Amino acid sequence: MPAKSKIQQIENLGINLESIKTREGIIGYILRSPKSASIDLSDPAKVVDYALLSAAALDEGKDLSDTLEIGEVNNIILEGTDVKILSLRIGDSRLSVFMKKDVDHERVCKDLYAT
Amino acid sequence: MSVDPYTVALNNALTEIKNICPDVTRSFIFTKEGAMLAGDTEVADETLSKLLHSFQSIAEKADKVGGLNTLLINAKNGKVYVSQVNDMYLAITTSKNADISYLRSVTHVIVPTILKLLKDITPTPLKPPPSQPLIVDDLTGLFKRQDTVEIDYEILTQWSRLLNVKSINEVEIESVDGTIGSCKVKAIDNSGKESRGLIRIPEKICQILKVKKGELVKVKPVS
Repeated sequence: MPAKSKIQQIENLGINLESIKTREGIIGYILRSPKSASIDLSDPAKVVDYALLSAAALDEGKDLSDTLEIGEVNNIILEGTDVKILSLRIGDSRLSVFMKKDVDHERVCKDLYAT
Repeated sequence: MSVDPYTVALNNALTEIKNICPDVTRSFIFTKEGAMLAGDTEVADETLSKLLHSFQSIAEKADKVGGLNTLLINAKNGKVYVSQVNDMYLAITTSKNADISYLRSVTHVIVPTILKLLKDITPTPLKPPPSQPLIVDDLTGLFKRQDTVEIDYEILTQWSRLLNVKSINEVEIESVDGTIGSCKVKAIDNSGKESRGLIRIPEKICQILKVKKGELVKVKPVS
């Protein structure tokens, strides 16, 4: 991807995340790029737990897709008793959006790519 | 995988799910602790072991946020859907166009119904066969007994609970080539994350079972 469009993609992602974050039911997000991390969670006490779960979902999700030969992962949706997590890779960045269980994650996923 | 009514019924449930949802390509049922209860027999042990390891890693972290109910991986050529059904997990791989909502409805009707029927018609309490795939590690040390293998404390506790016994003192080990042997068992000293998934076997027992460090064996308790 050309450097300019990559920067544009990251800028768009930042704008889209800020917009998504204000919606009802969205708990927050963790965005990790190779050089930096951006964390915005309503409950800071859960940052470590959420970060570990987010990393496990992305890493083990990739391992599962490799093991079961289903190709490159588009996204991972993990539902717990209390929360739902949407995890995906966008370029070099790894993103997890945390939300309440009744939030439409498909809409969130679509809106992340909006330009 | 032992052929008892419980396993047969769960395998039949998986076959029925496949019949109703042709998009399903592979399916497995396992416990949270990683004991395989039913599933596609043509899948290699190594694949199952990797699958269980990945799942357990996610489930362990999800405990901190209220446990894991479902996991869906959308990939380019297919999907993986893992769902908690009663006290078990059902893992299904599908084609990329599979309707997961439909699949969810089907699985959450068929599996619990069959389990309920089994409970009603089986005279003895149901106990899932707790066979656990583990990776062989060397057991060395001056004070280590040569007739005893070591397993993670969590696994032994889980088996005790399942079999309703105070402790597990003996296990049956099956190597990949089918060699089976029984021996005494104790918990790994200082059990931790690094010991999970391992069975530490003394050299003599390794020779009898014809297994080496790094190989996969199936282990189950002798009650």
